[in-house]
Amino acid sequence: MKFNAYYEPNTVEECVQILSEQGSDAKMLAGGTDLVIRLRSRVLKPKTVVSLNAIPELSEVTLKEDGLYIGAMARLMDVSKSKLLTGAWKIVKTGAGNVSSMQVRNNATLGGNTCNASPSADTVPGLVVSGAVANIVGKNGDRSVLLEDFFTGPGKTVLADDEMLVSFKLPKYADKTGAVYKKYSIRGDTDIAIIGVAGKITLNDQGEVADVKIALGGVAPTVMRVPKAEDLLTGKKLTFQLIEEAAVIASESCTPITDARATKEYRTEMVKVWVRHVLTDAAQEAQNN
Amino acid sequence: MSDCEKTNYIGKSVPRIDALEKATGKVKYFEDYQIQYRDLLHVKVLRSPHAHAKIVSIDVSAAEALPGVATVVKGSDPDIPWSDIPYGSSYYGNPAKDEVIWAGQAVVAVAAETIEIAEQALELVKVVYEELPYVTDQHIAMGPDAPEVVSPELGLACGYMGFCADGPNVAGSYKMTLGDVDKAFAEADVIVEGEFQANKKSTSQIECNGCIAEYQSDGVVKLISNGMGVHGVLKKHLLTMYPQLTASTLRVIQPVTGGSFGNRLFPTVEPLAVLMTLRTKRPCSYVLSRKEMFTSSPSNWPVFTKLKLGAKKDGTIIAEDFYLVEDAGAQIRGYFDGRLSASGLMCVYNIPNVRCDSYGVRTNTMPCAPYRGLGVPESEWAMENLMDELAEKLNMDPLELRLKNIIKKGECNPYGEKVTSIAIGKCLEAVAEGIKINEPCQQDDGPWKYGKGIAAGGKQNTPLGRAEADCLIHSDGSVEILVSCDEQGMGAQSALRQIAATELQIDIDRVKMTRSDTAVTPYDNFGASSRTTYTTGNAVIIACQDAIDQLKEAAGREVGLAKKQITIKNGKAYVVGSDVEVIDIKDLFKPFDFFTQQTWGLLQGTPVRGRGVFCPAPAVPWFGPGHEDGRTPRMWNWYQYSAFGAEVAVNVETGQIKLLKLFSTADTGNPINPKLVEGQIDGGVIMALGFSTLDYHMFEDGKMINPNMSDYRLPTVLETPLQKNIMRAILPDPLPDGPFNAKGCAESMMIPIGPAIAAAVYQAVGVRPKEMPMTAERILKLIKDKEANDAK
Repeated sequence: MKFNAYYEPNTVEECVQILSEQGSDAKMLAGGTDLVIRLRSRVLKPKTVVSLNAIPELSEVTLKEDGLYIGAMARLMDVSKSKLLTGAWKIVKTGAGNVSSMQVRNNATLGGNTCNASPSADTVPGLVVSGAVANIVGKNGDRSVLLEDFFTGPGKTVLADDEMLVSFKLPKYADKTGAVYKKYSIRGDTDIAIIGVAGKITLNDQGEVADVKIALGGVAPTVMRVPKAEDLLTGKKLTFQLIEEAAVIASESCTPITDARATKEYRTEMVKVWVRHVLTDAAQEAQNN
Repeated sequence: MSDCEKTNYIGKSVPRIDALEKATGKVKYFEDYQIQYRDLLHVKVLRSPHAHAKIVSIDVSAAEALPGVATVVKGSDPDIPWSDIPYGSSYYGNPAKDEVIWAGQAVVAVAAETIEIAEQALELVKVVYEELPYVTDQHIAMGPDAPEVVSPELGLACGYMGFCADGPNVAGSYKMTLGDVDKAFAEADVIVEGEFQANKKSTSQIECNGCIAEYQSDGVVKLISNGMGVHGVLKKHLLTMYPQLTASTLRVIQPVTGGSFGNRLFPTVEPLAVLMTLRTKRPCSYVLSRKEMFTSSPSNWPVFTKLKLGAKKDGTIIAEDFYLVEDAGAQIRGYFDGRLSASGLMCVYNIPNVRCDSYGVRTNTMPCAPYRGLGVPESEWAMENLMDELAEKLNMDPLELRLKNIIKKGECNPYGEKVTSIAIGKCLEAVAEGIKINEPCQQDDGPWKYGKGIAAGGKQNTPLGRAEADCLIHSDGSVEILVSCDEQGMGAQSALRQIAATELQIDIDRVKMTRSDTAVTPYDNFGASSRTTYTTGNAVIIACQDAIDQLKEAAGREVGLAKKQITIKNGKAYVVGSDVEVIDIKDLFKPFDFFTQQTWGLLQGTPVRGRGVFCPAPAVPWFGPGHEDGRTPRMWNWYQYSAFGAEVAVNVETGQIKLLKLFSTADTGNPINPKLVEGQIDGGVIMALGFSTLDYHMFEDGKMINPNMSDYRLPTVLETPLQKNIMRAILPDPLPDGPFNAKGCAESMMIPIGPAIAAAVYQAVGVRPKEMPMTAERILKLIKDKEANDAK
């Protein structure tokens, strides 16, 4: 694990300056739980490593008028225990708590888990159905991107070489909203997810679905939404049969691959099973909220 | 309590000799010795990305030129020993010569000042391969027209003991016939048959294989290695491979090691480290990465078994017929003829008509070596699953069916061996009662369905050569036992110490163990086939008796009595039949000073050295003229047995299996240290839970695709039941020729785990798994297939 230069900027501006100077030679170090492994195995050989660990403001979680802001460097352990993540935002806590082991969660960050852009990242589906926005700072100014548009492929994001993710904004959620994330893996959270399913349902006063979002992890190059299934449910009263139908649509919409964790057939089947569970539980939660 | 009872440590759970220093992190593993070498070189290896390819050219010039690189090794280098064993050298971890025969085989090795430099150097090596047809599927490999695992022009001798089959990859065959099998099947009322597969798996010990080889100025190579058998494996192989080394210039030391389970039965890293140190005259350390442990150190051998059983209506099994193939991997040499795995199908039940047709086959996958159980958990997977099916067909209780057919003590097994120690009946009855097999599980509306199952298992002990022990009685009366048996964590030293203290009738605190340094401790083969307690244990007893004999002689001379009138206990010599003390052992050793003359006899500072050598009786040939039926009165040595009961939950939506309650029983002979045996049982059970439900090698394009601890799913604490639901019991049948009637105990508990879970799965969801491990995917597929079938 060798590189030519290691930077530890104290401000976002300083960091962006370094990134713009280093270009594609640099890699950002957040919690290091993915990066260090790749450095050690020589999969990645960056010339420069830029640590984000000396910029305290990146770890802040703040409740504002327009929603909840979670710093990109918030540790997954802290996110999974945050008291500010209430109601339908709890789905973000669940996802953070589902990532690997306690030791990993103590180091890993929400921004790191996102920017790593693994299709099976546990935090992402929950953030996506919550309508999270990624706040990005770059040499040429700031921008905000809806998180579901943030990913361009496995390991790939919209971030330019001189840009960094600084925070997530979770917009406020409506009353009667329930959001649930379920990770399916063989050995609990220590395993990488075979699939992950997030669902958010908002009910109207008549008990019909006012809004629904479904996001699937581990079954496509990026975390994906299932608009067809969402359309099917919107405006309707949920029944077991309707949920089953949505689950079938979801399983037909995804394009999983076969790898060491599971075959594509098994992933497809699991999408059906877990979308059903997620929607059932989210609807239940919506009723209670 | 009499003196004799006080010093009887047999069956007592004396704390492990190494418990404190292990628990406090003070023990030294081989890597802890790296720090003492300021000029240590680190070895890294470039490995074949292809399952089978010709090496067209290798260019190492850029690597050699890299500053910090000490030496680069290719298979074609003149100092690589190929001797008379084609491929032999590369099987033991050295770079391949003309051809690579599995993905992960060494191609080029570098020794450099740091690991980083070595890795960087490997990236500068250019290898041109010409890919050749390969075969990783054992069924395809068996065929007469299969791609050849090794190119014929490279001259790999075919067969074991002269046998050569039709297919180019068949490594050997063992066939056996007892009685008239066809006639027996014709007379059977019920016949069951099935095809069963057990997959490829890695032992996955926590400590990766590694060593430090040091070239000393006097020409001695000192090797500190976590490999097995300092004398019987490492020294033997290295002396064969490097003629420049002699018996006196190679010293092998085994420090505390972190497991082997059979994986280290052959050298994997030592030959290369020794070669590097011979070349550079500098100490070299070579440690496999976890990935290399999967792709480049031996796995088990997968087994395919096609088994048929025939029984009478009353449950008496009268016929057994099986075809079995061991997938030996890219095996260059070795013993693969099906015989080892087949032994599992002929050691539990007394069946009067048996036909065994077994083979070993090569494939282009990492070569195989023993994996705890020696192929028997893989073959008995077939037997025990089929027994459960047979019980159902006969409408009989699976326990009753087994009890009816097990070999009784004193009876002969199908080989023709008389079985002198067997307690499988007791073991089976205990587990059936322990998990209340007759009380059905409560079911609910959720996706989890519940079931229970039991199974049995037996494992032979291979009579594997010689063990020696030295028993030193020091002049202060304390005892030192010198042995070279492997200590891979099982507690062998602790058990041997109890044996010595009991035999010498001395307080165990006065007994010290010194082990596994070829310059100090006497010969032992290696720790395999659960042999250490039995073989080395017997050697320790003999050594103690020899020491006692010498003390008697000395005491007799001292007090003017005949040797046979003296008895030794508790550090003192007594007149036989009397408790009147004669002389303290300490006083037998005469003091001396600078000018003392005529100092023969026992002298302070020079211990009495008792020598013990033990060799189990060898096997009686089963081949050649007069042995056409493949039977023999002595194929193996003794047998250890286990039974297992499981209560499981199966998720009908995902196919996952959850273990709720486990009960394991083991017939280990008379246990020397019950706590250690229980530790063996629990460890074995959890290891077997892994390969029964989770972990196996997956291949794609000839390569293993899950060579890491993330995708190779070993059980974690989450997959094991709560401690209160893991039960175990030792139910021994004492072995007449074992040390204090002990047998070994490391393997049998592995065998019934998978089949008992399979039986429980069948009870829960009505499907019969045929392939091990029973992964969630495989179980779900069986459930879906059943649903589709039922819907028809």
